[in-house]
This record gives sequence, C-alpha cells and structure tokens, in this order.
Amino acid sequence: MVSRAKIKELMNESACSHSKDKKPGEGCDKPKPGLAAGGCAFDGAQISLFPYADAVHLVHGPQTCLGASWETRETKTSYEGRDHTQMGFTTGITTNDVIFGGDKRLADSIDYIMENYRPEAIFVYSTCVTALVGDDIDATCKAGSEKHGVPVVPVHAPGFVGSKNLGSRLAGEAVLEHLIGTKEPETTTPYDINLIGDYNVTGDMWQYLPLFEKIGIRVLSSMSGDGRVGDIRTAHRARLNVIVCAKSLITLTRKMQERYGIPWISVSFYGKRDTTFAIREIVNALGDPALIERAEAVIAQAEAELEAKLAPYKALFEGKKAVLNTGGNKAWSIASGLQDLGIEVVATSVAKSTQDDIDKAREYLGENGVLMTKPAAEQAKVIDATGAHILLAGGRSLYTAIKKKISFIDVNQEKKTSYGGYNGLLNLAEDLKYAFRNPVFANVGRPAPWEAP
Amino acid sequence: MEPSRTVFTSQKPLQVNPIKHSQPMGSTLAFLGVKECMPLMHAAQGCASYTKVFFTRHFNEPIAVRNTSVSDITAVLDGGDYSILMAIENIQEKEKNLKPSMIGLHTTGLTETKGDDVRGVGTHIEIPYVYVNTPDYEGGMESGWALTATAIIEQLTLPATEVKPNKLVLLPHVSMQPIEVEKIKCLCEDFGFETYALPDLSTSLDGYWEEAQGKLANGGITVDQIRDLATSSVVVSIGASMKKSALALQAKNPAIEHLHFDHLMGLEGCDNFVGALMKIRQADPKPLVKRWRARLQDAMLDTHFLIGTSHFVVTGEPDMLVGLCAMLRSVGGTITAAVSTVYSDVLETIEAENVFVGDLEDAREYMQNADLVISNFHAERILHSYLHTALVIRGFPNYEELGNQLKNDQLYEGSTYFLFEIANELRKVKHEH
Repeated sequence: MVSRAKIKELMNESACSHSKDKKPGEGCDKPKPGLAAGGCAFDGAQISLFPYADAVHLVHGPQTCLGASWETRETKTSYEGRDHTQMGFTTGITTNDVIFGGDKRLADSIDYIMENYRPEAIFVYSTCVTALVGDDIDATCKAGSEKHGVPVVPVHAPGFVGSKNLGSRLAGEAVLEHLIGTKEPETTTPYDINLIGDYNVTGDMWQYLPLFEKIGIRVLSSMSGDGRVGDIRTAHRARLNVIVCAKSLITLTRKMQERYGIPWISVSFYGKRDTTFAIREIVNALGDPALIERAEAVIAQAEAELEAKLAPYKALFEGKKAVLNTGGNKAWSIASGLQDLGIEVVATSVAKSTQDDIDKAREYLGENGVLMTKPAAEQAKVIDATGAHILLAGGRSLYTAIKKKISFIDVNQEKKTSYGGYNGLLNLAEDLKYAFRNPVFANVGRPAPWEAP
Repeated sequence: MEPSRTVFTSQKPLQVNPIKHSQPMGSTLAFLGVKECMPLMHAAQGCASYTKVFFTRHFNEPIAVRNTSVSDITAVLDGGDYSILMAIENIQEKEKNLKPSMIGLHTTGLTETKGDDVRGVGTHIEIPYVYVNTPDYEGGMESGWALTATAIIEQLTLPATEVKPNKLVLLPHVSMQPIEVEKIKCLCEDFGFETYALPDLSTSLDGYWEEAQGKLANGGITVDQIRDLATSSVVVSIGASMKKSALALQAKNPAIEHLHFDHLMGLEGCDNFVGALMKIRQADPKPLVKRWRARLQDAMLDTHFLIGTSHFVVTGEPDMLVGLCAMLRSVGGTITAAVSTVYSDVLETIEAENVFVGDLEDAREYMQNADLVISNFHAERILHSYLHTALVIRGFPNYEELGNQLKNDQLYEGSTYFLFEIANELRKVKHEH
C-alpha cells in the first residue's frame, strides 16, 4: 500500500536543503493542475531502479505507463547475463482487472517471468489504476518471493502521489525495506562505498570508476547504475554512502546512517574541478592516510594527462564566451566544465535553481557573471551585450542562436557520450569544437528569395 | 495463400516487450491535428509527460500537451471539475497571451476508474471544448485517435442538410504520417475537391522551421472548418478504425456520400481510391498520377523476385498492418506473422500464415526465420542476434531514424518507394549471408 505518512515524511526530508526555506509541514511543492510538466512518481521510481539489469522490472498498470517508456534510457550495464533494462514487462491491465482486481494477473505474471527469464529479483511497480482499485500488491509479491526464492519487491510509487523526485525517494524506501541488509558480502574492505544516484547514463560512471580502482576505493554496491541486486542487498556493510548529483535519495542515506551508522557525502563528477573535489571528499571521509596519499598521486597524474590532451582545445577555444541556459545543477556543472576548457561563461540561468545552486553558480561565474532569472527573455540581450559566441540551451532557444548567428548546443537533448569525470571533458570539448565550426546556424537563417534582404 | 481467418490473441498474463500503445496517446495526437488546440490530458502528470516525450522523439518536434495533474487526493475527492477547471485557470493565468482555439480533453485509466463527469465540466468552460473518454486499459492508440475524431465531429460539427458539391473530408487512421496525409489531400485537390482532413497532422507535425515554437497545436484543421464539415459532399474514411467517425459525420448530414478504404497502399488499394474519385468527378487523374501508376507497376516487376522469395514478419496497429501486408502480398511476399497491437475485424482480411494480437516476445520466434521485419524501433535490439534478418521501421515510435514525418508509403508514388526500400534492404541481408 501507499502510505500517506511515508509520503509526508519524504516530502519534509530534514536533510534536504530545500526544506530549510519552508515552514514546518510545508514540504516539497505539489504538482499544480495544468502546470506540472515533468514525470510522475512512477517515472522517478523507474529511473532510480531500472538500471538493475539482473532484475526484471514489472509494471502493474494499464498501457501508458510502460508502453511509452521502455527502451528509452541510455543506462549502460556491464552485466553479462540477459540485460533486462532494455526490455519491457507490463501486466497491461484491462477492464476486467479494473472491475475484479488484478492480483491474479500479477501473480501469474510473476510466475511467467520466473519460468522464462529467471532474474535475480523482480521489482513490481504499482501505478495509479492498480493503487486506486486496491490490488494487494504487497501480499502478491510476498507470495511470489516465497514461492520462487528471489526478492519480489513491491514499489509503491503510483504516478498520482507526486513528482519524479518523490518517486525516487519511494524507490529508495523500497530498497531499504526489502533489499538492503538481507545478504552479507563475501568480503569487505575498509574502503567500501555505496554509489547512490548515479544511473550510469551513457556510461558516466565508467569515466571515474577506473580512478577508484587505482586509488583502492571499492564500490560495494550501486543504486543503481551498472548495479546488481545481489550487491545492493549487502550495502549495509559499506563504510560510506556517496550520493552523486541526486538530492532525491538523501532520505535513503540519512536512514542508512541512522540504521547502520554509515555516513554520507554528496558529490558530482562533472568537469575537472568537481571530479578532483569528489575524489578528495571520498578519501577524506574514509580517512585512511595511505588512501589519501594514493588519491593525490592518481589525481595529479590524471589531471596532468588531461591538461595535455586539453591543450589543443584550449588554444582553439581561447577568447570564446558562452551563455548557458539550463536548469538545476547543470547551471553550474556545465559552467564548470566549460571553464575547465578555457571558455568564459558570461551568463547562466538560475530560473529553477535552489539557493545552493544559485550560490554555486555565483561562485563559478564570479561577480561579473549574469545570473538570468528570466532566461527566455534575457538571453538575446545578454548575447548582444557580451558578444558571446555560443549558446548552450534547450531546443526552444535555438531560434535565439540563429537570430544572433552564433553557435548552439542543445544541452537537454539526449546525449550519446558521457560528459562525466576527467575524460568526459574531452567529449564535451569535441562537441564544442564541432559546434563552433558548424555553419548551419548562420546558413539556416539566411533570408528566403522572396523576403526583403 | 488464403486469409488466415483465425486471428488469435496471445494468452500470456503479461506483455513482454510490448508494441501496444495507449488510447490517450492516440487522442493527444489527434488533438494536435486541430489548429491551436490545447490537448489536455485528464491524468496524473506522468501520462502526459510520457506521451510528450514519446512524440517529441518520434517527430523531433516540440509537442504541446498539458495535463490536469490529478493527485491521489483529488483522485478520491474530486469528480473532475476541480482539476480540469484549475488546470485551465492556471494555464491562462500563467500564459496570458495563450488563446487556444479549443480544449481537447481526454481521459486516462486513472480518471475513468474514478468515473469523472468530463462532459458536465464543459458547461463551465468558455473556450470550445471537446471531451473524449479514452481509458488506457481498453483499446489502443488507433482506437484513441478514432474515438477523438468521432468526438470532435459529434461535439463541434454543425448539422446541415445541404452539401457543397466537390467538398471532401478525409479521415486518416492514426499510423499515417503527416506527409502521407498531405499526398492524399493533394490527389483529391488535383481532382478538383475542396479537401480537408480530420485530424490533419500534415500542417502541424510535418516538421517545418519557424520562429515561434507552439505552445498549442501548430497547424491542422481549424475549429471553424470542423464546424462546417457537414456541408461536405464526400467523406473518405481510410482504415477500418475510422469508419465510425465517418458515420458520425453522416449523422450530421445524411446527404454526405461515404467512401471507405481499408488502406491506400499497393496497386489495388490505390486503384480503388482513384477509381472512386474518377467516378464522382467524371474525370481522369492528372498525367503525373498515371505516370506514377506505371512506375509502381514497374517497381512491382523489378522487386517481385526478391520480395516473392522472402519471408516477412510485420507488426503494428491494425490499419497499418493491413496495408503493409497487402502491399507485400501483391508481389508475392510470404508473411509468416502479422502481429497486431489490438484486435480489429479487419485483421481477418490479412493473408498471412499467422495473424495474432501480441508483443515482440511472441513475434520473436517468427523473426528467427524471417528475411525482413517491419516493426517499430523496438525490434532493432532483438534483431541484433539475427544478422540475416533485415529491419524496416514503420509505426510508432521510431527513435532510430530522423525525418519520420516525411516517410510516405501511400498511393502509387509512396508504394513505389516502399517496394524499392524493402527490396534494397532484402538485397543487403541476402547477398551478405
């Protein structure tokens, strides 16, 4: 069942910086009719759990929930068995199930999956309709789990309880309740960490994991990029939880601290400075002087290698100015990456940022940087005033770039390569190189023969 | 090969790798074919978000759809009035310059389960308002689109008794891409018909560049044109799913002549259509139409050997499936499996070894021995393990390719290109292995 008390608790997370500015009990924003644009809680829950390739993700609901969403995420996995992340499983309930309940269909589906696919676990997602008609998903999952001897985990994040962010939190609750602490790891080291909130989109994690290996940091489990259900069950034995760019899972790490005494830190791996900072944070938290020393050596070597590879790009980008119009942590994380490449970021958007993000953007851009609160209206003027050479924004801003005859990168477009870690900067640099040299924005905007010049 | 006459349905309790899409998604798309319409999905926010992303990626265009963000609390306490009216009020307050020509309200499984009175809400709304009940636990994308076209006619079109000679309205099924609708409109116009399409994606999601990016449906048929549709002399339904919409228009004016075609693909399908238009207009088609027919004949002969010695698996919405299979059969292709998203009577007419309602898991066993698969992009990953099987992507969604809105398989011209595309893809796999 969806518990109202649990949702209320999650919406008022004490460890979340958003809660600081709110009155007690006010909590996160509720979706407003007509204005809510993002995904729902179910979407968020799927995002947080779907990368477990060794589990089957079964959506108990009508057609829209899964039919439109499967095989849409570039979450990479190294799992050698059947990769379930690129498959879709749904009970696809029909009118009959709405009237008589869908429990039997769900139980039969669990049996079918175990017979035909033998996954390490099954996540069963409730959705609005199955939550509303009151299917007893907990009982069906429990029975399935006992029958088949693998975890069958109910995830209660039907879309109508709230936003994507809340859904991620609810997914965290499901993992905490049903998986973490149910298995002991084969071995442990004093340098075991859990990675929380990196979904390995386009292989982001693989940009920095080789560095961890060199330093001697061991990833005990991941939620959930390139993760394994078997590993997350042992997560309670880690020495540190590392949250990667995901405020939504703070509740999980706070509870793990309370329950298992595991401290947590929050880091990001975008750009050189952030990556170096993140590694230092992790080794400092683990506290072993030898580890810290090794980390410094690895950082020094990696940075030196990167600088050598970046030199030709820096020469190419010298004197270039950029305007950035994107939301959330991208407002400063991409800015940081651009600055690492020697590009001056003259403006960034803070329209949807938290105070933390705004402070960070100000820190990165310096006092002359423009923090745009109404970027759609401001960006054209800022480009004129600063003589910017490139606009990095969502597709809706393309017209501004064409009108101003400057280069453009769609930062919201599904990226195909990773911008994460040290080497991700090289991918960003490549994309920028081609963007600067591409004449398409000027060419498209030329006047038609029937227009006055 | 006789028609199978035994369309069966997969008896699994679940779908694995589904090809079926939901009714509300078809409805959103239909409303996007009405100029400056604001599609409003009565749902939790995720339904609209998924739909928006789905079509944005298929068409590579921004998709204007709003939602009423039904929450767990309003789901229990509200009969629909609150969320729908609040949504409209919030949108108008936030975007003062937004002037929708119409609000296209469509429901979902959630709001149907709680049983909202979406009709009654209309009395409180000043903007033209069309509602349609499209639970996603019934039907599929094709029926959602068709129900919406029917609702638009029933609720907006004014009854008439007279008809304007040579005024024609096309009712295309959901799987027809924008350029396909345009090509058929052009043919009718060439015959001298004043032509409209409902819904009309040919001027809204055809992928064109312009300054303003719409927060409403960019183009399409206008509300005034819809109101006036009952003065048409001819209504042409294309695809079995659209028959009911044509009957709804005839109910507004029994003097309208109804022509129905299951599809306009392949020589016979096009001949039937062109023949019917010739009969009404008592005129020959333009020379270029005749030329394209001759090119199609030539293409059939050029491709018949490759296609005629090949085995196919075809998946998709029923109306598209019927047309594609007929075209392949016309040059001797063997269809081992035609896999449909949902059941439709028209599936019984397909000539194939197996015709069934199912998913890509069911289709997979037939793919192993197929030379070519026609399916949406989801089949691509499966075919990685069958290197001797080619893939031609048709239907929603296609995230693999660009320019989907300009892919034309209709009429003599589109059929010609289609046959060559199939034959060329076959040639690649058959020569290499």
